[in-house]
Amino acid sequence: MKYQSFVGLEIHIQLITETKVFCSCANNFGDEPNTNICPVCMGYPGALPSLNEEAVYKALKVCTALNCHINEKAIFDRKNYFYPDMPKNYQITQFESPFGVDGYFNLELDNGEIKKIRIHDVHLEEDAGKMIHDNYQSLLDYNRAGTPLLEIVTEPDLLDGREAELFVQQFRQMVRYLGVTDGNMEEGSLRCDANTSINLPGKGLGTKTEVKNLNSSKFVNKALSYEIKRHGKVLDRGGVIVQETRLWDEKTSSSRSMRTKEDSHDYRYFPEPDLPPYRTEPAVLKEIRDNMVEMPLARKRRYIDTLKLSLDQAVFVTAEKDTADWFESVLELGGDPVQAASWLSGDIRRVLNKEGGMLENSPFSPERIKSLFDLINGKKISNNIGKELLAVIYREDREPVDIVREKGLEQVSDSGAVEKVVDDVLIAHPAVVDAVRGGADKQIGFLMGQVMKATGGKVNPGMAREIIINKIKRSD
Amino acid sequence: MEKLSDRWGSVLKVDSLSKKYREYVVKTDEKIGSFLSFDPGLTINDSAGKGILAGIPFGVKDNIAVKDFDLTCGSKILEGFSSPYTATAVKKLQEAGAVVVGKTNMDEFGMGSSTNNSALGKTSNPWDLERVAGGSSGGSASAVSSGQVPFSLGSDTGGSVRQPASFCGIYGLKPTYGAISRYGLTAYASSLETIGICGESTSTTREVFNIIRGKDSLDNTTVDYSPSGKDDSVTIAVLKIGDGELNKEVLSSYRKSEGRLRDLGYKVVEVEIPTLKYVVPAYYVIATAEASANLARFNGIRYGYGEKGSETPSELVEMSRTKGFGDEVKLRILLGTYVLRSGFQDQYYHRAQKIRTAILNDFSKIFIDADALMMPVFPSAAFHHGSSDLTQLQQKSADLYTCSANLAGLPALAVPSSIENGLPVGVQFTAPVFEEERLFRISGKLEEIFPAQKPEVYSGGWKL
Repeated sequence: MKYQSFVGLEIHIQLITETKVFCSCANNFGDEPNTNICPVCMGYPGALPSLNEEAVYKALKVCTALNCHINEKAIFDRKNYFYPDMPKNYQITQFESPFGVDGYFNLELDNGEIKKIRIHDVHLEEDAGKMIHDNYQSLLDYNRAGTPLLEIVTEPDLLDGREAELFVQQFRQMVRYLGVTDGNMEEGSLRCDANTSINLPGKGLGTKTEVKNLNSSKFVNKALSYEIKRHGKVLDRGGVIVQETRLWDEKTSSSRSMRTKEDSHDYRYFPEPDLPPYRTEPAVLKEIRDNMVEMPLARKRRYIDTLKLSLDQAVFVTAEKDTADWFESVLELGGDPVQAASWLSGDIRRVLNKEGGMLENSPFSPERIKSLFDLINGKKISNNIGKELLAVIYREDREPVDIVREKGLEQVSDSGAVEKVVDDVLIAHPAVVDAVRGGADKQIGFLMGQVMKATGGKVNPGMAREIIINKIKRSD
Repeated sequence: MEKLSDRWGSVLKVDSLSKKYREYVVKTDEKIGSFLSFDPGLTINDSAGKGILAGIPFGVKDNIAVKDFDLTCGSKILEGFSSPYTATAVKKLQEAGAVVVGKTNMDEFGMGSSTNNSALGKTSNPWDLERVAGGSSGGSASAVSSGQVPFSLGSDTGGSVRQPASFCGIYGLKPTYGAISRYGLTAYASSLETIGICGESTSTTREVFNIIRGKDSLDNTTVDYSPSGKDDSVTIAVLKIGDGELNKEVLSSYRKSEGRLRDLGYKVVEVEIPTLKYVVPAYYVIATAEASANLARFNGIRYGYGEKGSETPSELVEMSRTKGFGDEVKLRILLGTYVLRSGFQDQYYHRAQKIRTAILNDFSKIFIDADALMMPVFPSAAFHHGSSDLTQLQQKSADLYTCSANLAGLPALAVPSSIENGLPVGVQFTAPVFEEERLFRISGKLEEIFPAQKPEVYSGGWKL
């Protein structure tokens, strides 16, 4: 493309807190409409906002993770506009002096390169209620009104739709690591608006347009790719980009104009007189820094470099913090990293998917899985039996040792007993024995299968194989 | 001096007294119109059975929330709206045993200096029914002045407790900003206003203040009450008055009080306040800007007047506000929206905030050498109903002595000074933040010379 493109994102995340950001109503998703409301979040006359410290703490965590400068005074402002889902017809947000400014995010590109994406600011604000249209009336649910939102605004450092998609994915992973939000785009706990412009190389930013209604990182990519292309077409034919807000329509895979700059509101921002400037305590910041979780990128690198996981394994294990924590618990108990990673991304994942369960708080505790590994590594049971056991452990929520003992699954490791079984199998299949003697090593597998069948799979495969080979060779 | 509880404590408890009390209020209110709603039994069970103020009736301005009473703010847009909760300051009084007997009339949303801007009732001055009781807390002041209640809560954004107190001849306190919780006070100008007290005496006003003050977790702008401890004044500054600034009667009363201060042994020093001439424009820019946002919530959707038959949300909001708000309210919302417009903020809003800092500096300079400052309350005594005496604009310009304390966040107390031609005139004292006790002591000393006078209507005849 002959133009250079620029993308900036405005991401909103719903913070996980006990109560709403300015009152003590519960901050829950999915409750009966208009049951989590009070005079404050309903904008009743005389009600006043009271700042939720938990929301501030989580905001500061995000600011710290994004390497922001924390403003000495965080000031709240009123953003004034009328809309039925706005109880006060102004939103309490931050404009002039937010919690964090001038930060950066390390974005891992497809080619493995790290690109620094500058963060313009991180600010705390309240969400509006929900308005649903139903035939001839509009219904309003104010449960969501007053819940805490954190808005993160990037500089236009992203190149295109793909970089934006990666950013949304990796940013989402980071804020889930921090435990501040679910980051679920389908449910709306992570929302993304994108700004893009193009220009001839070296000419700086162009006229930007904003795209809204992007419900997944995939659509972020699609919508921006479309928009950048559209800008290109306009400029190619000598036109001018109209600065406007556009809505992405997934059905038609296109964007359409929502409102132009001329129609846009004058929000008449002024400082919120009901909330004094917030002064963050240095001790709190220090505590946040000291207790900051390891970032997903760093953790993945460590697993590859130090623990020798493959890239795929490392990606899988570090995708969610809970999974990585679980993995490290197994290591702390003495488990082997590669074995743990391989089982986790393989059979354990398979069972969880089948049963529709999550790793956290599942019957697959780190202790149990380590115990399972011990049984396998100590040759008490075979690898295959171990895999079969997973389903039983999950469904019956029991210790592997108990199940093995109860069902008599212990491998037969007594060589005398194994020899006897092998003898019987060799006698029963003389033709195969001859074939093996003649060099058809693959037929050993058949004989192994017969031994397994005869022992209900409970024989140590390595030992069985060795005995079969020895016996056949010996009878030469 | 008789204790508050001795005089008022049994008024609601003893059946015969209670009946006489109600009859008195109802009868006097036919002419005076202090109350928009009067019902002593409505919330009597929300008051503790015992306490310092056990059984004592009080009025609450109708912009302060009391659960189960209407909260109209003197406006059609909230006519018939029943409050689902109670303001913190009222709760504290209820916990001390006091009983809310009614909600008092006011200028719509606190916007006015007469109470004639009320859309729901007319309040007249107990001293002369042809004249206003002042505003915006006119009903609160007239209720105390006419002996319907010993104290009432009002709100003071630019003088709305002190001016009616002065017009009605009683005491009116505007406390330090942040000393009393605003939770439950319908916001007009959030950074300027406080809940205030109209009281029949210094001691009653002081007693109520000490009960309702204090940090409140529901109001983040409250702070712990922290006086210096220097409660007795030695030097009192007195604002120099130029020719024509006050009318003849008010000037005469002002000089009387000045003389009394000297007689009482205070060192009296005349001072000037250079920024005083800028306070009214600064006040109206800031107050209307905040009001334009604070009143945006009234859109007929969740509560209050909602125009039936609207086809769209916009129509509902437009019609409800057009029909529900009075002209003065609309004027101030428009003005406030204007001064906040992008491109104009520097010229108006930011400049007004700078004037605010300047006025605080002027006061601080005065308080280096003086412990308190005396100023007039209003250039005239109570004016006639209608705008013939003073136009709406002139009424606004006259706010200069009172709104300065709101801009600076300082406490100020209106004190009865004299009766001139049958009308009360007051003076006001202001002091540094949290020095309310200083004000009460000055007031107490002056009270010994000239206590609050009772208008003819206040016969006290309903008491046994």
